[in-house]
Amino acid sequence: MYASLNEYLIISGLLFCIGFAGVILRKNIIVIFMCLELMLAAASLTLVAFTRFKPFQQEGATTTLPDYDGQMLVFFIITVAAAEVAVGLAIIVALYRSRQTIHTDDLDALKG
Amino acid sequence: MELAWFLFILPLASAIAIHFVLKKRPCLSGAVGTVVTLAALVVAFFIRGAQSELGFNWISLGNFEVNIGFVIDKLSSNMMLIVTGIGSLVHIFSLAYMKEDKAKARYFGNLSLFMFSMTGIVLSSNLVMTFIFWELVGLSSYLLIGHWYEKHSAGDAAKKAFLTNRIGDFGFMIGILMLWSITGTVNFSELAANPPAATCALSIAVFMIFLGAMGKSAQAPLHVWLPDAMEGPTPVSALIHAATMVAAGVYMMARVFLVIGTDVISTLGSVEAIAWIGGITSLLAALMATQQNDIKKILAYSTLSQLGYMVMAVGLVNPDAGMFHLYTHAWFKALLFLGSGAIIYACHHDQNIWNMGGLLKRMPITSLTFIFGTLALTAVPFTAGFYSKESILHAAKDQGSYLLWVALGVAALTTFYMFRLIFVAILGKAKHKHSEDAKEVSMLMLAPLVILVIVSALSPFFSDFVPLPELKEIDFHVVPHFGDKLVLFSIGAFVLGFIPALLLYAGKTKDPLNIPLFRNKFYIDEIFGHIIKWGQDILAAVVHFLDEFVINGLLVGGVTRSAQGLGNLFRSKIQTGNIQTYAFMFGIGIAITIYITVFA
Amino acid sequence: MILLLVTIPLLAAFAILFGAPSRLTAILSALMTLVLAIVAAIAFGSAESASAFAEGQWEFKQLAIQASNFSINLHFGLTGISTIMMLLTAIVTLAAVLSGKAPEGHKNLWYSASLFIAAGAMGAFISKDLFFFYAFHELALIPTFLMIGMLGRGDRKHIAWKATIYLAAGSIVLLAGLVWLASIAGTYEISQLKSGVAAYYASNNSASACVLCGITGMLIFGYGTLVSLFPFHSWAAPAYASAPAPVAMLHAGVLKKFGLYGLIITAVNVIPHAVLEKWVLLLVVLLLCNIIWVGLVTINQKRIDLMLGNSSVMHMGYIFLAIAAVMAFPENDIAIPAAVLLMFAHGISIAMSFSLTDVIERNAETLEFNQLGGIAKTAPKLCFLFGLVGMASIGLPGLANFAGEVMVFFSGFNGWDSSKPFGPVQWGTVIALWGVVISAVYMLRAIKNTFHGELIESAREMKDISLMEQIPALLLGGVLLVVGVYPNILLQFLN
Repeated sequence: MYASLNEYLIISGLLFCIGFAGVILRKNIIVIFMCLELMLAAASLTLVAFTRFKPFQQEGATTTLPDYDGQMLVFFIITVAAAEVAVGLAIIVALYRSRQTIHTDDLDALKG
Repeated sequence: MELAWFLFILPLASAIAIHFVLKKRPCLSGAVGTVVTLAALVVAFFIRGAQSELGFNWISLGNFEVNIGFVIDKLSSNMMLIVTGIGSLVHIFSLAYMKEDKAKARYFGNLSLFMFSMTGIVLSSNLVMTFIFWELVGLSSYLLIGHWYEKHSAGDAAKKAFLTNRIGDFGFMIGILMLWSITGTVNFSELAANPPAATCALSIAVFMIFLGAMGKSAQAPLHVWLPDAMEGPTPVSALIHAATMVAAGVYMMARVFLVIGTDVISTLGSVEAIAWIGGITSLLAALMATQQNDIKKILAYSTLSQLGYMVMAVGLVNPDAGMFHLYTHAWFKALLFLGSGAIIYACHHDQNIWNMGGLLKRMPITSLTFIFGTLALTAVPFTAGFYSKESILHAAKDQGSYLLWVALGVAALTTFYMFRLIFVAILGKAKHKHSEDAKEVSMLMLAPLVILVIVSALSPFFSDFVPLPELKEIDFHVVPHFGDKLVLFSIGAFVLGFIPALLLYAGKTKDPLNIPLFRNKFYIDEIFGHIIKWGQDILAAVVHFLDEFVINGLLVGGVTRSAQGLGNLFRSKIQTGNIQTYAFMFGIGIAITIYITVFA
Repeated sequence: MILLLVTIPLLAAFAILFGAPSRLTAILSALMTLVLAIVAAIAFGSAESASAFAEGQWEFKQLAIQASNFSINLHFGLTGISTIMMLLTAIVTLAAVLSGKAPEGHKNLWYSASLFIAAGAMGAFISKDLFFFYAFHELALIPTFLMIGMLGRGDRKHIAWKATIYLAAGSIVLLAGLVWLASIAGTYEISQLKSGVAAYYASNNSASACVLCGITGMLIFGYGTLVSLFPFHSWAAPAYASAPAPVAMLHAGVLKKFGLYGLIITAVNVIPHAVLEKWVLLLVVLLLCNIIWVGLVTINQKRIDLMLGNSSVMHMGYIFLAIAAVMAFPENDIAIPAAVLLMFAHGISIAMSFSLTDVIERNAETLEFNQLGGIAKTAPKLCFLFGLVGMASIGLPGLANFAGEVMVFFSGFNGWDSSKPFGPVQWGTVIALWGVVISAVYMLRAIKNTFHGELIESAREMKDISLMEQIPALLLGGVLLVVGVYPNILLQFLN
């Protein structure tokens, strides 16, 4: 028994919402960061799912290989996310060094 | 160039020269002022006769023109003689009276300025020019009353005089504007050529113009400034606040009545009001004078009372009688004021009559001239005042007005308060060290007094010099006719005033009467004080408060504060600085965008 | 030639910013401008006709913006009214750069700002193009703001912002009105506005009356805010009280007149009478508030500078009265000359007052009435000059303000039919006349409290006005006297 596209999308949506809720509600920046990753994962999952369920090109095509564009994109996302985590964590460490906190309520220097 | 221009140029040049060149040379400036005024007197003698000159266009715009020019007719040329004549004597008197004053140059400069402005009123060829010089005499009066400005009372009196006159001028200007709208001109000659019809608007306009006279000639209720104006040097009181400037109102009304025509004027409703205002002023002022203790104040109230007479005559549409009284009054009132100046000078600037007494012995010439002036003022037969007062009584009688009885009552009161002054201050014994030390004043002061006695004694008989607007001759053979009942009445009024004064005041050292109502001038100053305090100062404070707090605070501030409040709201609720709030907004924004793009 | 009127002060202002000797440059350039203005006025007065005059050197026109359906020109030239305003600007500028004492370290700003204001005002008055007319005025507002905000007295930041926001808001409304007006008239050339508007009005009577009515309203309130028409007046007095002397002189004396000048040339002279008439009643009520309400506020002031600032707001009412008179009665040939003469006279007299107030403040170290008194004894010349300008501002004959005021009152009664009751303008004139009493009250009080009475202890050592300080006052006082004694000297430009 295979899962259909809908199941993938629902799970991906749920993941995204959990991630978004975490980003908005949690106060610890590291947790927020993890939730952000969750949202990225949700997006990746959607891409993969769409690729998987996209019908093969039939007419005017010389090959019958599936379209892997979405999955390619996911690799990129994973790579970029890894880089982003590195930079992000570095910023958080720098922030912690200067402010002695990573609690978002204490970080309101943007207030107008 | 006409000779008459010298009447303007001489005093103006003198005023400018004294103020800007001779400020450091007080004696020279006194001499310049005096010589110039004497020269003006000579010129005034030569310009008698009818002529007029356009002068120059002061304002000309299309068909709207205001000229500075002059009109010389019997009315103005003889008025000019009064002004320059008394002006010269007052200048001479001042040379001695102001000898020790530190600001002598300023004094004479301002006197010259006054002579210039007064000349302008007298010779004026149109109402706007009259108004211009009207304001300028107001200025010179302000400067001269406030001559000793270090004294708070002098500064206040000057301010009061100016402001009270301004209230009158408010009406004067409205009157001029209305008359201009009705007739299309402000020129006397054009008005005389095309007199307006008697309408309601004209009636209001004439009354409004009279408001100007009410301020300058100190008619009730705008009389309050004149007694206070006695804060000025006494020669100034003689010239400005007794003989000339205060009479300008009467002169101006006579001029206006003359050009509009007495036949038109007499049908207007407002002239009766003018007559009654004059009558009431003369009665009130006479009552107030009976209880004053300051010699200058008594004379000031008597001036008010006599001005009331003149205005009454004008209001009875008999400007001849008013002008005749103006003319005789000018000389003998100047005499009385200069006499009082000499007395005050001799008594070391003590003005209280209850500190005087016994002056007849110590300064006989001054006292005799003073008594002569009193006789003229109280209208003893064959003195100047008698003839002119008779003509006013006749005017009242001819109109069948109740004002005749008012006038007779005032005549009795005049006799009463003037002889009270004589009995207390001149006769009797010296009551104070100041009057014991009094010595006869110098020749320079006596000469003007003696000249004034002569002029005022002869004044009514030179009918050629009497400034009568209608060019009528006063019939002197009729007036002092003892078979005439009116003469008996007025002699009766004299006796009625003289006997109580003799009984009550001869040889007294304290005032046996005490009538607070009269002494306190019917509390009019207090009432005005309250009106000004409540009607103006408190109102001004309230308005200022409203301006500050309603307009500036609520309206303007309200707009500012609501903008500020809105900004603060956004700042605290939306722009929190918390990254998660931004993320939340961002999310909502995305959701809405997606909804709109995909589903809507 | 005429271009020099604007470029001399502008170039001088830049030169000062780049290090030229500030005071000398400013005085020289102001002097040159004044001489040039007088030459221009004489040329204008003696020209046989307007076109003959314009063919001379006194007209400058250069295309600035060309679009498909309109063009904006940098167009300078003189008309009767602008000649008088030009003279006012030039005279007050010279007096302003001679007045006051620049604080050390800010001399460049002080003098260049004054010259910028002067250049802006001059440009606005001699512009014959709506766009530059507006733009030059805005140019003058910026240095005003800077000077008040940086070198003012008291709560200067707050006051500077308040004035600027007011003026900017007024200007925005005004700009909208002007652009609308120009678009319906199809031209930015001020002299052609009238025919354009008339054509528009004739083409489509019912709707165009409505549009023009709206434009008139925008112009009245836009210009009104710039001229401190009630109830948009509360910026003016504090701003003048706070501003350094030259700025107060230039703004109250010259720049403020821009609003009245504009109202005359772009509204009263342009918009058809039937439309203007609808605004008469409202304008009369507002101007009476200016005179009576602000007059009472003035009585209650406790400082000389605030009193003068408020009195200047009050006197604007009289000029509006003349404008209302011509709006109600179009054949009123006295009203506009009256307004212009009074604008000139008020500009000169208020500039002189602020110049002298500055001297009083520096010499007596206070402007509070209750801390002053009797200083006529130590400073008689100052007393004379202040008395002169005080008397001028309350309308003493022989000084320019009287001539203006009297003509305003006559214009108010012009067109009254004596068989009918008073119209709104006549009632307005009568009530406005009471303002003459009010202004006498506050001015005489000020003179009495400051100069008369006993000398206060602290002023015993006070200096009198120095010769250098007298020069601007004498210049302005002389102008007041000359114009007051012979008003035709200015009125000839308007005939």
